[in-house]
Amino acid sequence: MKSYRKYMTSKIVWYVLTFVVALFLNFLLPRLIPGNPVSTIVSKITSGMADTNSIKRVYETFEKEFGLNKPIWEQFLIYVSNLLHGNMGTSFGQYPRKVTDILASSIVWTIGLQLPAIIVSWILGNVLGVLAAYIKKGFDKVLFPVFLFISCIPSFGFAIVLVWLFAVALKIAPASGGYAFDMIPSPTLSFFLSVLQHYQLPFWSIVLVGIGGQSLGMREMSIYELNADYVKYCRLLGLKDSKIVRYVFKNAVLPQITGLALSLGTMVGGALITEIVFSYPGLGSVLFNAIAAQDFPLISGCTLLITTGVLIANFVIDIVYGLIDPRIKVAQQE
Amino acid sequence: MAEKLLEVKNLKSVYKTRFNEKITAVDDVSFDLEDGKCLGIAGESGCGKSTLAMSVMGYYYPPLFYESGIVNISGIDITKIPYNQLRKEILGKEIAYIPQAAMNALNPTQRIINLIEDVMEEHISGITKKEIRKIAEDRFETLNLPKDVLQRYPIELSGGMKQRTVIAISTILNPKILIADEPTSALDVTSQKIVIKLLKDLIKRGFIKAMVFITHELPLLYNIADDIMVMYAGEIVESGEAEEVIFDPIHPYSNGLMNSIIVPEKGIKGKKLTVIPGAPPNLKYKLEGCRFFDRCLFAKDECKISEINMKYVNNRSYRCVLQVDELKEMYEDGKKPATT
Repeated sequence: MKSYRKYMTSKIVWYVLTFVVALFLNFLLPRLIPGNPVSTIVSKITSGMADTNSIKRVYETFEKEFGLNKPIWEQFLIYVSNLLHGNMGTSFGQYPRKVTDILASSIVWTIGLQLPAIIVSWILGNVLGVLAAYIKKGFDKVLFPVFLFISCIPSFGFAIVLVWLFAVALKIAPASGGYAFDMIPSPTLSFFLSVLQHYQLPFWSIVLVGIGGQSLGMREMSIYELNADYVKYCRLLGLKDSKIVRYVFKNAVLPQITGLALSLGTMVGGALITEIVFSYPGLGSVLFNAIAAQDFPLISGCTLLITTGVLIANFVIDIVYGLIDPRIKVAQQE
Repeated sequence: MAEKLLEVKNLKSVYKTRFNEKITAVDDVSFDLEDGKCLGIAGESGCGKSTLAMSVMGYYYPPLFYESGIVNISGIDITKIPYNQLRKEILGKEIAYIPQAAMNALNPTQRIINLIEDVMEEHISGITKKEIRKIAEDRFETLNLPKDVLQRYPIELSGGMKQRTVIAISTILNPKILIADEPTSALDVTSQKIVIKLLKDLIKRGFIKAMVFITHELPLLYNIADDIMVMYAGEIVESGEAEEVIFDPIHPYSNGLMNSIIVPEKGIKGKKLTVIPGAPPNLKYKLEGCRFFDRCLFAKDECKISEINMKYVNNRSYRCVLQVDELKEMYEDGKKPATT
C-alpha cells in the first residue's frame, strides 16, 4: 500500500507538471496568431470617426483594458494570478462579457450533447463488437462492412448527410440550433420539447460514427481474446460459452476504457465541427468563433477547459485500471 | 482385465484451410486407456499429438473438423452427442485437460478461486460458494499447494506454480481421465519433477483414474507412462510397454527418436548430435505407403507401394513392412542413423 501511495504521488506530480506546461502553451499559442485583435474591435467601434487622435485614444484604452501593452511575460503572470482568482478575463470578441460566463453557458450544451452520445455509442459499439467477433457468420459479415463504412465517414460529413435527409428532404427534424430560434431558454415543457427535437440529429450523427469506431476496435480485441489459450482451456473445463464471452468482454474492453476516458476528456472540444454544422450553441461553436475573432482570453479559456478535461480523464483511467486489471495493479506497486 | 475408460477407434480429424485443402492431422488412430494406466504419446512437433488430444475431447472448433471414428468415454460415444451435453456431462467431469502452456491458460483478470467457482457451479447444481471454497482449499492442501494461491491472480504466480494450479483446477471434479498435453515442456527440470510427482500423486490418491501424457520428451515418459504410443505424421507408428518402446524400439522412427535423446555425459560436447534427417511429409497430399519413407535409413522400394498396416508382435505393434528381426539386425549392423 505504501508503494501504491508513492506511485500515486509521482503520478500527481507529473500531472501538475503537464498542467503547468499546458497552461503556458494555452496562453502563448493563441497570441502567436498573426494579426491584432484590438484593431479589429477598434475599427468596428470607430467606423465613421475621422479624428485620428481619438481613434488612437480608443485603441490605447482597449489595449490597456486588455493588458496587451505590457510585455508578454507580465501578461502571463497577470493571466495566472487572475486564473487563481477564478477570473479568465474579458472576451475580446463578445466584449464586455466575461470568459467564464460564456464558457459556463455553452459548456452545458456541449456536455448535454456529448456525454450521452459518447456513452451510448461506447456501450452499443462494444457490445456489437464482441457479438460480431463471437457470433461471426452472417452477423459479422453484415455488421463489419457497415461499421467500417460508417467509421470512415467524418462526423461532420455524416452530419451534413443527416441534415439533408431528415431536415431538408423528409422535413422531420430541425436543421440547426439548440432550440427553436423564437424561444428564450426557460424551464417550460415546450422549450424542453424543442431542445429534444433539435437534439436528435447532432446526437445520432455522433453516436453512429462513434459506434462504428468503437465496434471495430472491440471486434479486433475480442477476436484476439477469443483465440487466447484461456478460452480454449475454459471450454475444455466445460464452461458455458456465455460465461466465456463475459471473460472475453472484460479483457477486450480494457483498452477500450482508455478510449472512453479520452473521448470524455476531449468531449468539451470534441464535437467542434458537429456543433458548427448544426449551429449548436455549445463550446465548439464558441471556440470556432473565438479563433475567428482572435479572442485570446476566450481561446485560452476553451483550451484550458479541454486540457483540464483530458488530464482528469487520464488520471481517472490510471486509478480505474488499477482497480479492474490486476496486471496494471502489479505494475503500480513496483 | 481392467475397465476401459477411454476407447478410441479409427479416429480421423482434419484441418481445413481457407483454400479448402484438407490436412489430416490425426489419421486412423485407435487406442484404449484402462483404469489405473498412464498412456504416453510421443512424437516430434507437428505430428498430431495435440490435435489428437483435442479430438479425443471433442474440441472441434474451426479449422479443426471431425472426419470419422469413435471416441468412447465411460460408454458414451462423444462424437455422436450434442455439444451442450458433451460440455455439461463429459468435459471437466469425466475427462479433463491440462494445456500445453499453462502460462496463458488462465484468464489474467480472474482470481484462481473465481475460476474454480465457475467450473464447479457449472457442473454441480446448487453448490454454494462456501462449499466450493472448502473443497478447493482441501484439495490444494492435499496436493501440497499453498492455499493463498486461490486468492491470487495468475500474474502473481510463478510458471511452475501456475502449472500446478492448472492441474489442480482441471482435476477438481475428480475426472476419470486426465489428458496432459506437454504439461512440463515449458518448465525447468526441478519444476518438471514436481509436476510429474503431482500427476502421479493424483492417480495414487484416486482423484483421477487414468491419464494420457503427451510429450516430446522421452526420458520424462519413462518416468510416468505405463505404455507408449509413438506418433508420426498423424499416424501411430509404434505402441507397446514404456520400457520396451524406449529401450528396444522396433520402428525405424522410434529408433531414430530414441537415438536423438541428449543424455548428459562426459565428453558429449565433442560428439556429434544425432538427428533424424529430413522433415515430416506434408499432410495436405494423399500419402502412399510409409510416411517415414523419405527419412528412413532402411527404406526399400516395397515401403512405398501400398498402405502399411500395423503389425502385432506379442503385446506390441508397429507400422513397417519389415519384420522385427530384420530391423533389429539392421540396427545392430551399425547402419547407424546419419549424423550432422
